Order: sequence, then structure tokens, then C-alpha cells
Amino acid sequence: MSLSFMIFLYVFLIATALVISAINDILSAVITLSVFGILLATAFAILQAPDVALTQAVINSGIVTALFLVAFSQTEKPECYSEEEEE
Amino acid sequence: MSSKPYIFRIASLILCVSLGLMLFRGIAALPVTEKVTGPASHYLARTAGETGARNVVGAILFDYRAFDTLGESTVIFTAVCGIAMLFSRRKFHRSSRGLSFIAKRGIGIMVPFLLMYASVIILFGHLSPGGGFQGGTIFATVTVLLCVVFGSSFESQYFPPRTKDILESGGALLFSGIGLIGLAAGTGFLSNIAAGFPAGTFGSFLSAGSVPILNVAVGMKVGAGLSTIFYSMIKMLDAGHDHREGGGIE
Repeated sequence: MSLSFMIFLYVFLIATALVISAINDILSAVITLSVFGILLATAFAILQAPDVALTQAVINSGIVTALFLVAFSQTEKPECYSEEEEE
Repeated sequence: MSSKPYIFRIASLILCVSLGLMLFRGIAALPVTEKVTGPASHYLARTAGETGARNVVGAILFDYRAFDTLGESTVIFTAVCGIAMLFSRRKFHRSSRGLSFIAKRGIGIMVPFLLMYASVIILFGHLSPGGGFQGGTIFATVTVLLCVVFGSSFESQYFPPRTKDILESGGALLFSGIGLIGLAAGTGFLSNIAAGFPAGTFGSFLSAGSVPILNVAVGMKVGAGLSTIFYSMIKMLDAGHDHREGGGIE
């Protein structure tokens, strides 16, 4: 795989990781986490670890996102969510 | 803004950077030889002869280190037991009505392909990348999709929690039973070819002795376990939203 694509991938991995840790909006953090998982799975697949890539893609983007969304909708939200709660 | 959070931020930044530097020094300490050494060379050279599996990772997971895999799936079993006990208080719950007609039809078209994909990943775990964990997680994802799109009562109608319990316990029993066969043959717990399982022809579907059976067992355990976790949590969610018009999760 070309070097420029790897640099693109790693830069976006670091950027999404920083966004996850810094952002205040928990819902955006959960969605960014699933983007991070897909990028990491791509990196694993390029590094010739298809088993790990498959696990990463399925667990991080499927199960973890769903569980985090359920947990998010069960927790107390600060004021900034009061208008979004009514769907 | 007071200065105290900044001190914490700078301290955590220093901590992260020093940890990262240590990890990078670990990468630099790795041997850079072209030749594979140590146990890896043994696995690469002998896996085909000793287990008959083409997927070396699967052979290590379900043959050489099958006892570790049993421990890992016991961890999931314990987590499922804990979560099911924690959320089992609410007997009555009202399910959501699910999403729109378009979403229901779309998921209805997708679900058979997802199930087939999960089955292929589990059943061909000894030949191609994949295995019980990955395929079981895709099964759990299908039930999560059904829960979200159709509502949890629809999902529990097609995959009753009782069936999931039986599947999960059956997976654990199957795994341990395969291990006990090796013990009965006198070659050790979870031994594969040495215990008399047929190796088959290398690369064909029926090969690698007990590895496909253990894949199926782990797939049953992981799929039923993760979907039980999600179902317990979303059952509580539906019960908590009783005073509203039923909606899915967000």
C-alpha cells in the first residue's frame, strides 16, 4: 500500500482519537469512536492481520456502538441535551 | 477559568506523551530480522501437518491455545451472567414499535445475507480469516439490528431469551465436551489430532479435526451472550421510556 495512504490513515486515526477524548458531546464521541474503529480495522487489514481487522470492525462498529448508545440514552444529560431529548 | 484544570491537562499530556515514548521504544526494541524466529517459526512450519488447518491464527486459537480460548469465552459467560442478573428486575416491559416501514423492509432484505455471512465466517474459520468470535459477533449484530428496527418484543419473539440461554450453555458444554474427549483419549485436555479427530485433506471444508467444532461452539457462546447483553439493556431502556410514545434508541 502506498505511503501517502498510510500517512492519511494514521493522521485521521490520531485526529479521530483526539476528537473522541476532547469533545464534550458524548453522542458525537460515540459516532467518532466507530469511525476510529473502521480506520483502525483498515490499518490492521493493510498490516496483514485480517483476523484482527475482522474482529475490530465487527465489535467496535457494531456491538460497542450499540451498547454505548443504549448506555448514553440511559444516563443523565447536561443541559445541552434537553432540546434533543424529545426527538 | 481557574488554573487548576490546566495543570491537570498539562500533567495528563505529559503522562500520555511519556507513555507513548515508552511504547515507541518498545517498537524499536523489536527484532528486525527477516526470518521468523521462536514459536512463530514452529507454528508456520508445522501447523498444516499438526492440525490440518489452513488458517494459522485459527489453529493457534483453537488447537495450540484452546485452553486460553475456553478462558476467554468463560469471561464473556461471566459478563453475560452478571448483566442478566443486574437487569432482570423488570419483568414487565413495553416494546417500541420500531422504525419506519422503509427501514423494516430494508433490514428484512439484509438480514438473510448477514446471517449467511456470519455462518460462513464461523464454518470456514479454519480455512480463511475469521472464526467463532467474529461470526458470533455478527450474529449478535443481527439481533441488535432487529431490536432497534422492529422493537425488542419482535426480536424476543423470533430469538427468545430462553433459546439464547440454551445456545450459550450448549456452546460451553460442547467446548468442554470436546476437551474431555481429548482427556479420555489420554492425550490431554483439548488435544486435537492426537486425540483421534480426523485431520482430513488439507484445505478442504471437512478438515482440521476439532477446530471447526470448537469454532461453532465459540460462535454459539459469543453470539448468544452478546445478544443477551444487548437485549437485557434495551429491555430496561424500553421500560424506562414507558411514559413516552415508544421510540427506538434515539
